[in-house]
Amino acid sequence: MIMDSGMTDKMAVNDHTLSKENVPALTSLDTFRIGIVILMGLVPFIFPSFRVMDVMAKIMIFTLVVASFDLLLGYTGILSFAHGMFFGIGAYSVALILYHTAAPAWYHIIIAILISLVVSIGLSLVISFFSLRVKAIFFAMLTLALAEFAHILGVQWTSLTGGEDGISFTLPWIFNFNHTFGTVWHTQINGRLVVYFLILFSTLFLFAGLVRFTRSPVGRVLQSIRDNEQRAVALGYQTFRYQIYSIVFGSSVASLGGILFAMWLCYVNPDSVFHTAIMVNILLMVLIGGMGTLYGSVIGAAFLIITENWLPQLLKSAAELVPQSHVIQVLADRWQLYFGILFVLVVLFFPKGVLGTIRAHYRQRVIESESIENQLK
Amino acid sequence: MKSKANTMAGLGLLLMPLIWIDPVTYLTLTVAGLSLGMLIFLIASGLTLIFGLMDVLNLAHAAFFAFGAYMGYTVLYLFNSWGWIEGASLWGSLWFLVVALGTAGLVGALLGVITERLVIQRVYGDHLMQLLVTVGVSFVMVEILKIIWGVNDEVVPIPLAFQDSFIIYGVFVEYFRVVAILLGVLVFAVLQFMLKKTKIGIIVRAGVENREIVQTTGYNINRIFTMVFALGAAFAAIGGTMMAIFNQAVDPGMGDQFLIFALIVVIIGGMGSVTGSFVGAIIVGLSFNYVAYLVPKMALGVNFMIMAIILLIRPKGLFGKE
Repeated sequence: MIMDSGMTDKMAVNDHTLSKENVPALTSLDTFRIGIVILMGLVPFIFPSFRVMDVMAKIMIFTLVVASFDLLLGYTGILSFAHGMFFGIGAYSVALILYHTAAPAWYHIIIAILISLVVSIGLSLVISFFSLRVKAIFFAMLTLALAEFAHILGVQWTSLTGGEDGISFTLPWIFNFNHTFGTVWHTQINGRLVVYFLILFSTLFLFAGLVRFTRSPVGRVLQSIRDNEQRAVALGYQTFRYQIYSIVFGSSVASLGGILFAMWLCYVNPDSVFHTAIMVNILLMVLIGGMGTLYGSVIGAAFLIITENWLPQLLKSAAELVPQSHVIQVLADRWQLYFGILFVLVVLFFPKGVLGTIRAHYRQRVIESESIENQLK
Repeated sequence: MKSKANTMAGLGLLLMPLIWIDPVTYLTLTVAGLSLGMLIFLIASGLTLIFGLMDVLNLAHAAFFAFGAYMGYTVLYLFNSWGWIEGASLWGSLWFLVVALGTAGLVGALLGVITERLVIQRVYGDHLMQLLVTVGVSFVMVEILKIIWGVNDEVVPIPLAFQDSFIIYGVFVEYFRVVAILLGVLVFAVLQFMLKKTKIGIIVRAGVENREIVQTTGYNINRIFTMVFALGAAFAAIGGTMMAIFNQAVDPGMGDQFLIFALIVVIIGGMGSVTGSFVGAIIVGLSFNYVAYLVPKMALGVNFMIMAIILLIRPKGLFGKE
């Protein structure tokens, strides 16, 4: 299924030895990555429009969530439909605590983080305990049922969650959007900008943590389980335990992503964090970027969120060219349809995703050049 | 001996709600629970058939279900606009029901054939790909459904005769509930007959193991696979129409809501076992109704608890193969 495993291993091993033994020289790829991060930091100062900043913040949050999902799907070979649920648990924990306390202070956010971590770790342990013993496909079914259950709970438990109307809240301390510190480069430094940078640094830190995790000994074992579980068992690894590490870690990161998401929007409702459409979006982002690549999540998230922001308008203006046709108006309204079709096409015909394909191509070239070198010897 | 003990334990659990509920209410709830269970079985049967025979977990099942519900709604809506539905006699209503179910079943089967030929055929033997691709197909189908019928809830016109009830020992029984129970039992019987008395089951299972060898024995395995998939989809669509009448309403998200029930039933019963789905559906339907009467807020939660308990005792479900 995940065909580029050998190649990722190889690249990862190279990186690993580099960073351990000698001081690593910056490759052109590293420069590119650092450039993107700096660009993300400069966005609020270059583009005064809120919309651009909003898109960037969402790209970063979803990069994080998608990367943590890739840890499960691409590196461990487990399909969890509850990943969106953990995202929602994070979002709701911060929203509920800030909404239900009279005068929220900075430590309430810390409490929210702790609560969401405890809940997601506990829940992911329970899920894996019940389902992983049997079969991976069981895990998919159980998590799907649980995710639907979470959505229903969010809608129906109105006394706690406010039902379908959702909850809007204000952030405490320096994160409050009305809090200003003055201006830099004609840009007002306010609470929103502070949250933006919080998102930037948290994403960087957690993403680095995910990359480190996949290259650790535990990550290696996970990949071996994904590629051939029986062989991993035969080598003496308790596969169950390693899969639990992966699920717990991935779910926790997803719930932290949910916290960032709620803090950015200051609003949550069941449809925006618990709905199946979120899960489908996350899946599509992983697939477009490339399963088992981690860095592909940046590509997937950027592609999908940018399209999601501009496609409806594009379709609408296209539909205005033919105002008489009712069918075309309706087709333009349902832009999610095109995402669904894209999803199916990507799974069927482009399963490696963008980064996976590029890496496979690169690997092919390395193999070819090596064989030429061998022939010359 | 052991199976006897199990049956006794099951009966004991079945009668346990009598501690809190008086007998007449208990019987009313039991009839309601059985009919809900049979409706859920209709949905779950297609899922378990496709999984058990073809080894494909079809998450687009919910979309077939929703399409079936909307087809049934359309047929009944048309009949109603001609003034046939409301005043119809019980037997007349039954005929309309058969037409609605038939239309839904045919459309479901057609959609099943299209889906299998276009998409599923490319992913046989790869569980992860199947899960991913069927999620996508489901998403696309629900969007198409919204394009055709719009995004709002619709009220389904149903024959008044179905809402009438008769009384046995002080228990009110609606006619439609009886119809639902009979249909569920009928589908169960047909499936059992097909799997136990005909060769289709064996051929399909052999085809999953090794397509080429089955083909060399003269069976067109591709066509048989398509047929089984279409049959599963048709069951989902029929279940959809029944549920549309049961709830007297349809909405585009209804597939997802009932997919939970179907998944819980399949997990409880054991994946791929039709008998398991039948028993699981009855358990889910009954417990949902008893608990909804006693503690309304816990109704869905109790199904998860039952699932957890059964998974603890038998990780592969009640009738799952070890």
